[in-house]
Amino acid sequence: MNEQGQNTPTLPEPQGPAMPTAGRTRPGAVSGGLDLYTVRARKARLARKLGKHFYTVYMYGALVWAVVAIGLYSLGPTAAWQRAGYIVGFVSLAWFMLSLWYRDDLASLPPSGKDIVDQLSGDVLGRLDPRKPLSPHEVWSAIAKHWQVMFFCNHLLLPSDLIKDHLSTQEADSAAVWNEATRLASASESNVIDAGYVAAALIRTSPQVLEILTHMKLTDKDVEHISGWLGRALEDFRRDKPYFGGIGRDWANGFTPQLNRFGHNISLAIETNGSHYGWLADSPGVSSIKGAFAQGASSVALIGADGIGKTSHVYALAQVLLENKSNPALAHRQIIGLNPSLILSSARGPGDLEFIVTNLMVEAAHAGNIVLFLDDAQLFFGSGPGSFDATQILLPILQNRAVQMIMAMTPNDFQRLKMNNQAFAGLLTPVVLQEPGENDVMRILEDTALALEGQHHLFIAYEAIREAYRLSGRYDQDTAYPGKAIRLLEHSLSHASGNVITATSVQEAIEQTHGVKVGAAAPVEADELLHLEDKIHQRMINQVHAVNVVAAALRRARAGVANPKRPIGSFLFLGPTGVGKTELAKSIAAVYFKDETNMIRLDMSEYQQPDDVQRLLSSGANESKSLILAVRERPFSVVLLDEIEKAHPNILNLLLQLLDEGQLTDAGGRAASFKDCIIICTSNAGADTIRDRVTKGESLESFEDQFTDQLINSGQFKPELLNRFDEIVLFRPLKPEELTQVVALMMAEVNKVLANQNISVELTPAASGKIVQAGYDPRLGARPMRRMLQRTVEDSIAARILAGQANPGDHVVLDVTDLDFSKK
Amino acid sequence: MLAFELFTWWYGQGWAQLSKNVRHRIVGTSNMFSVPILIQTLFSPWKRIITYPGASIDAKLRAFGDNMVSRAVGFTVRVLVLLAAAIMLLIVSIAAIIEVVAWPLVPIMALILLVKGITG
Repeated sequence: MNEQGQNTPTLPEPQGPAMPTAGRTRPGAVSGGLDLYTVRARKARLARKLGKHFYTVYMYGALVWAVVAIGLYSLGPTAAWQRAGYIVGFVSLAWFMLSLWYRDDLASLPPSGKDIVDQLSGDVLGRLDPRKPLSPHEVWSAIAKHWQVMFFCNHLLLPSDLIKDHLSTQEADSAAVWNEATRLASASESNVIDAGYVAAALIRTSPQVLEILTHMKLTDKDVEHISGWLGRALEDFRRDKPYFGGIGRDWANGFTPQLNRFGHNISLAIETNGSHYGWLADSPGVSSIKGAFAQGASSVALIGADGIGKTSHVYALAQVLLENKSNPALAHRQIIGLNPSLILSSARGPGDLEFIVTNLMVEAAHAGNIVLFLDDAQLFFGSGPGSFDATQILLPILQNRAVQMIMAMTPNDFQRLKMNNQAFAGLLTPVVLQEPGENDVMRILEDTALALEGQHHLFIAYEAIREAYRLSGRYDQDTAYPGKAIRLLEHSLSHASGNVITATSVQEAIEQTHGVKVGAAAPVEADELLHLEDKIHQRMINQVHAVNVVAAALRRARAGVANPKRPIGSFLFLGPTGVGKTELAKSIAAVYFKDETNMIRLDMSEYQQPDDVQRLLSSGANESKSLILAVRERPFSVVLLDEIEKAHPNILNLLLQLLDEGQLTDAGGRAASFKDCIIICTSNAGADTIRDRVTKGESLESFEDQFTDQLINSGQFKPELLNRFDEIVLFRPLKPEELTQVVALMMAEVNKVLANQNISVELTPAASGKIVQAGYDPRLGARPMRRMLQRTVEDSIAARILAGQANPGDHVVLDVTDLDFSKK
Repeated sequence: MLAFELFTWWYGQGWAQLSKNVRHRIVGTSNMFSVPILIQTLFSPWKRIITYPGASIDAKLRAFGDNMVSRAVGFTVRVLVLLAAAIMLLIVSIAAIIEVVAWPLVPIMALILLVKGITG
């Protein structure tokens, strides 16, 4: 029994630090695995009782008592007054000692040993009540108001009380919590177990709370990530103010008035405003730049895709150089970024540009402590709008190694520089930045989120950070991580809901910028998806099987069941001409992408030569037949490849890659994503077989598999291609009575056109039947109907309008006798 | 118990912490005045204001003269700042010594005051 009269539970064998030793505990004082009667624990409770303003109040108090004591001693009329002065003097010194003790020991309470109680932060220890059994529930109640615990609740979007209500009330369960908290603190390289680690441990060791997280699509790994995130924030917070060199640092270096005018002093900005690039200071990129300069390179080409963080690396380097953590030869160097547009706009006449750039270089060389940073360096090589060619000025400077420079550029720009000016490129030491992995990107996003929260006074939920990573990777193919994820997170700020950025905010941001649906289907949209067949049948006659198959595939994609690394859907439409294959493709574009113009249509009979592959993959601006260009312009669309069987086999091989990986790579090595496209290939192969078997009364479903085998055996399609389509959809020929419905749909289109003139037209059943009879051709399906309607109905109504027989407000009914079927 | 903990800390960790703090203060003062950098660059020209020598003897002599002036200006400014730093360091160091020496006397002084107050 312990002192509260409760049974002390048997604790599981601890896996982490040792439990308190018997010699240091009051008998029966162990609560929840902790001895809360150690000196450190008592000090923590005392500090909490004294309050955070104790030092200020007592220090000022001590001063006041000191004045009173001196006053009593020197001015007191009797010995009793002087004795009172001594007593007050004692009080003054006691208060002075207490206030110092509070500031330097009680309030900070550094870790003092290997026991958990010795490592727990004073903040936590002071809140734990030794008189209560320390169950996880009780621990959470004690620390719930701590800012680090609120950090968890806010970023997990979980109310503190909800977590508390689901935590165990069994004291025995606490041992696992302390062990886990120790592990998390150790993982963050912290020698103190802060409140945040305890909160994370409480969540991670509770199956009930983890179940709640699962419902929110979060895992215990995410909690560990947040713990690491908090750890980095604490480390940043506790870091000593860096030493940047003092007042006389730059007295031995030259003035830089021109550089100050045409550039931005990155080092000065860091010195003045502080920096948030601590995580990059030890990155391979910064180490490589430092290494290159240390080995005598005068200029570095910092190569990386857009968004990879070239500028951030330079800022981190500036911080490292300022703090003198690098090679002594680079100590306290200042990095100045040149502004090409300012230079260009300041050049008034011929030769001005060269004069300015030369002056800047001379000034940098003379100053002796400058590293020039040319961001978007291609702008200095005459490549792209707003650029000018300074290579002729820079070349001798590079050759003489007069100025240290960092030139940031993309791999393509570096390749172009190598091709155009080999001598110049050869003088640069290339440092290639690699796109960071998921863990690093998440760390960067987390740190960026904290900065954004501070700037905009809002909270960014962890689910939003994860969603920004996921969605930017899926929908932004042109930029690298972490830039694209950071940009998406920033865009999401305008979609905050009650000052909180959630996963929905991020989804709304990407829907707005990319015009694609990524969030969970809203009730109206879900209803539309569930009744997709009805919507398509408003434009399509029959082909029930084809429509059902396609609708089911699209529902799978929208519900997130389909493979996200492949196109939304891929279909091979097989059947005779004029049965609605193209119409179904248009219907899909209209229903799924909200506009039937969201369709890229290529006639594959134009790609029958081996060289046509290059045409299809061309990234040249003038190539109108490039599939790559078309999909980059409209990444959310139906890609309709007509008459696929006529394409060259090389193109069919390309199609395999497209269907498998959801992307194609252009001649320049740049990928274009088809992951947000619906790929539809059409073919008339085997059309006669379909027509014959359907005419004999067989259903499509009954010979589907047999028909596919036949296509493979006849060599028209390779099995590996057919296997890659989500669905092979057979279209059956239309019957004459179905063509009557097609005519009705076409008449609706005619009426839509005539609505501008406020005229409507209607066919009698006899007239409609006659049009079908005249236009019916079993080989061509519904295709001749449009032509027939033009020759009869449209010609007739046009003649009536011109003759003044059809006026606005008229409803014209056309019978067989009103139509001229003699025209061919 | 409380008094015991206070005294234990005062003569143990507290005193050690004070020594560390005053050491930081002295180093901080030295850094603020860039003492190591100023000593390293004591004879460097002021802000690199220098004249490059021409071909003629006359130009070389003039450049030498100009640069000597620049170095003299640099030397003067640096020596003045180093003097200011030395004075500051002296003050900080004396204060530090007083703090470290007085620290253990504070509790004794408090007890003396208490005893005198009670006994007269």
